[in-house]
Amino acid sequence: MTCEECLSELATGSLREMPSDSDVMLHCATCPDCSRLTTLLRDREYNAANVLNNLPPMSAPITVAETSVRTAHRRRVGRVVVMLSGAALVVTIWIAAATTIVPALRHADAGTGSDLRTETIPLRCLSPQQAADIVKPYVRSRGSTYYVPTSGISAITVRGNASEVAKSRNLIAVFEEDPAAACRNIPAMVRKAVEDQVSRDAAPVIAGQATTPPKK
Amino acid sequence: MSRFDKKGRSDVDPPSSVSYRDRAAYARDAQLASLASSGDDSAFTTLVTRFQPAVFRWALMFARDPDEAEDITQEVFVRTYREIGTYRSDGSLEAWLYRITRRAAIQMRRTRRRRDRLVLSPGAQPLRDVYTTDPGGRVDRERAASVIRELFSELPRRQREIFDLVDLQGFSPSEAAERTGMKPVSVRANLFKARKAIREGLLVTHPSYRELSR
Repeated sequence: MTCEECLSELATGSLREMPSDSDVMLHCATCPDCSRLTTLLRDREYNAANVLNNLPPMSAPITVAETSVRTAHRRRVGRVVVMLSGAALVVTIWIAAATTIVPALRHADAGTGSDLRTETIPLRCLSPQQAADIVKPYVRSRGSTYYVPTSGISAITVRGNASEVAKSRNLIAVFEEDPAAACRNIPAMVRKAVEDQVSRDAAPVIAGQATTPPKK
Repeated sequence: MSRFDKKGRSDVDPPSSVSYRDRAAYARDAQLASLASSGDDSAFTTLVTRFQPAVFRWALMFARDPDEAEDITQEVFVRTYREIGTYRSDGSLEAWLYRITRRAAIQMRRTRRRRDRLVLSPGAQPLRDVYTTDPGGRVDRERAASVIRELFSELPRRQREIFDLVDLQGFSPSEAAERTGMKPVSVRANLFKARKAIREGLLVTHPSYRELSR
């Protein structure tokens, strides 16, 4: 065995698994360099093991045992406290949710949605646009609206919650009697033409006179 | 505990092949653990007295210095007290304690790293060398710390652990595998790497061998 082979064996081999008749040890017996290296390795590991093994712990075992028992009890109590705190937190959150958040959500749902109703209100005198002007300020909740028909039908359709629809219906009923409602509020030109026609129809006609158109 | 007084320990160590002496020790440990788990504090104290040096010795391998090893040892016995009810008597109590030591040491290291990151100013760090009594003990500790640093400073934790278990404490690779929960193949691979690193380090400090190894 050469020194290089010996070194490569020593680099990863176990010193205690090398018996005295092994190739490495036989080589070391004749080679002073490898022998010194092997001895140094062995001494170094022996010293390390010795120092580590002979270093006693500073704390007395009884103290360690007592501290362990005390600490373990304290941690157990701590864990119980943490669990109880967690449970209390969960209960608090649940109560808060049940008393504030869920009702608020329900209220919001009521606003958005499910109990919206639609009603078409027939108009006798008001025009659909007039009726829309009346109900517009009262149909304000989420999802509420009104529809003005474009085909000339005299009605208005209101979509909203019960109170909004009822309010719209009542207001329209009240304003149907208003003097300014569409059926009573005729524009001036139309009114003049109607009055002229009425006055002409009402003038006395002498018998035998031909009715001639007025001269220009 | 070192390899120098554990020669001849068999490589394969199933429970059926252990010696009568070991079986007697297993039975005694199991009885001790059983008493301790039933709330017998004196049995627990006996258990601590019996295993504290070994646990401290193992903790030294994971710690930066002996003070930290003391902390790890204390933590190990706190956990032992809490978990002793889960110990199954069909295994070795020593191996069970080793696994607890390993877990505790790794966890403490993580905690220490987190704390180190949180410490902003050097003045906030506590003084470590506060021994005022037992100067001999202090010298021993410093010596042990320097040995640990010198031998293992360059090694990764796993290699250091395996090297210590096999080459310094004298456990077989299969026993080391059982204690660490690693595969025997991984144990051997780590062992070879550790030996190589340590012996290369030795060659660096010894010029004549460096020349020889060229």
